[in-house]
Amino acid sequence: MKTRVSRSRPSEPTASRQAPAARIAYIASRLALGALLALVPASLASGLETEAALDVFPTAALGQVGGMSAQTETTRLLAQVATSHEQSLGDGLSLSGTFWADADSLPSGSPLETPTDKLRISSRLLELGLEWEALPGQLIVELGKKIIHPSSGFFKTPLNVLSRGSASGLIPSTGAAVSGWEEGWVGADLTYLTGNVTIANFFSPRMEWSDTADQELKYVSLQQNEFNDLLRLGLKIGSADLRLLALASSGGPGSEDPDLHLCLGAGADTNIGDSLTLRAECSVADSQDRLDVVDEKLLTSAQESVDWAPRALAGFTWTGPNELSVMAEYYYNGLGMIGSDYDRLIDYSVNRSSLPGAPGPDLLDQFGGFEAARHYCFARVSGQLETDLAPAIFGVLNLQDFSGMTGVNLAYTRDAWALAGSIVDYWGGKDTEAGLSQLLWSIDLQLSLFF
Amino acid sequence: MKTFFAIAAAMLSLGSAFAPAWAESPAELLKSIDDLRSIPDMRFEISVTSFEDGKQKDYNRMWGFIKASETEDSRILLYFVEPASVKGRKMLMDGNIVYLLFPRTRNPIRLSPLQVLLGEASNGDVARTDFSKDYDVASLADADLDGVSCHLFKLIAKDGKKDSTYHSISLWVEKSKERPVYAEFFASDGKLLKKAYYKDYGPAEGKDFPYTMDIYDGENPGKHTTLTYAKIGCLVVRDTVFSRDYLEAWTAEAPQ
Repeated sequence: MKTRVSRSRPSEPTASRQAPAARIAYIASRLALGALLALVPASLASGLETEAALDVFPTAALGQVGGMSAQTETTRLLAQVATSHEQSLGDGLSLSGTFWADADSLPSGSPLETPTDKLRISSRLLELGLEWEALPGQLIVELGKKIIHPSSGFFKTPLNVLSRGSASGLIPSTGAAVSGWEEGWVGADLTYLTGNVTIANFFSPRMEWSDTADQELKYVSLQQNEFNDLLRLGLKIGSADLRLLALASSGGPGSEDPDLHLCLGAGADTNIGDSLTLRAECSVADSQDRLDVVDEKLLTSAQESVDWAPRALAGFTWTGPNELSVMAEYYYNGLGMIGSDYDRLIDYSVNRSSLPGAPGPDLLDQFGGFEAARHYCFARVSGQLETDLAPAIFGVLNLQDFSGMTGVNLAYTRDAWALAGSIVDYWGGKDTEAGLSQLLWSIDLQLSLFF
Repeated sequence: MKTFFAIAAAMLSLGSAFAPAWAESPAELLKSIDDLRSIPDMRFEISVTSFEDGKQKDYNRMWGFIKASETEDSRILLYFVEPASVKGRKMLMDGNIVYLLFPRTRNPIRLSPLQVLLGEASNGDVARTDFSKDYDVASLADADLDGVSCHLFKLIAKDGKKDSTYHSISLWVEKSKERPVYAEFFASDGKLLKKAYYKDYGPAEGKDFPYTMDIYDGENPGKHTTLTYAKIGCLVVRDTVFSRDYLEAWTAEAPQ
């Protein structure tokens, strides 16, 4: 996948560039990681659940060296460990949490952006919450940090309107939109279940602190730059599930963006027979910013606000004999470009890539992986060769310029460990979205351990 | 029209088969057999082990609840305990609708019933505490199974259950103890899908319950799966517990 996700997480200074106070925090974080790793054997006896994953990524990208295109290859090493626990504290009261840490040799994911330091260490408290069933099975109150993901999409997730993305910045090499480890939001969630209707509301406050405090707190939590209130309604109608949501957010007084913003969403999924599931969902936000091309030859751009641009997904999963599974999804991206606007965006990017020094912002990068165009489709075929061995092949197609990405994944899973290998290849002409990706191919070898 | 003829044929066969032999109708007999082992609000620990040609291929241990109802589909909540690679997964089976919640994710995925196979066992196998709710008796006869005198029920999915995992079932019930001992499960084209043996009967919440179920693939007898209940209890919980949105909130605990 593309490396553009680097925008989604704040930059973290490496040790060699840090001030003394930050250096101390940095060292402390390494000690914390060491302590966390020590938790692995301890978890065996204590009931903690720990998962450790080591990813090795040989990757190749095309960059500019002295005005000439040149292929650069490097191998990224990413070690992640997460420890979780769920503890009942009494009748209807429980505490649960997940702590995560990683060590990454190439946080940008791109061979063209190698860090000066050997490893970037980071950690987060992904979730920590107290849950109380005020009315058992009916009224649930949660306080703390939690993740809310209402989307049923695999390739894209329009309904995950409150999401920070992957904690490590790593995009799964399985074609999935959601990674295994993501940081939640601090807030209060109230859920009321009655018959075939569920009503839930999550409020998260704005939580900001100084840059000095952030030098240490960033190893525990990201800041929350706005107030968010997410109202969800779930309905079961026959064998179909319907979900409606509304997100109101604002930076509040004194913030950079004190205005109130609204995002609405709806989704449904259902079964047909024993082997087919269908899903569809859509979300729309009142306004979203993007950089538009002003002059593709002069490489100038301007910020525009796009109102009520919908994102929608429709797909199915069919299951056949011997655990054969076929999944396909169509994705409509209202914020993406189409027609002459898309052509200008591509021309801008072609012109920019041909010039050394990369003048002007990377306008493709602002969208993220496979988000620049309006229409996409995704397909995945997976099976089971043996009980433990699961192959999958998947692909993304930009329906406007017919560029895309193809991947093959093979996973071998045992009781306490799993080994997975993936190869991802980007293809398309020089004047296409995937063809303009600096990434050429990447391989992911992942070893996971479960304790 | 086909349904009408099927029902008519079933009624004719039942009429000829039962009048002299049993005081109660075949449907009532099947219902009474079900009642002897049905636990409406069952809490359990179960292990599911799959074998192929004598070699263990897969193993899962789970905690769960079953909510059985006279009028609605059975609903099951499952929490995967072992192996470590799947620990923390939660599953809700609401009739033919199945949701799976992976650890650290927050949206249950809807699965098709075919995706829920645990070895040779489907959700229907785990859930089924009775046959009479989902199947009509097409015929009943006497039969001998390994020297044991049995009732042999021919069951066919009820009209509203035509999308059940199995279209028809042949069920052998030991006459003396009214215990199901063996069953064959068929697809709508008559293909034998599975064979199941019900074993290790014992007391559970006042019922006579088969603690072990051996399920064999209809085409390849070398593939088989054993379901073993380790603990069985009774716990009445609200209906809302068996909903998609409760999966995330559910804190699973080992049955006592």
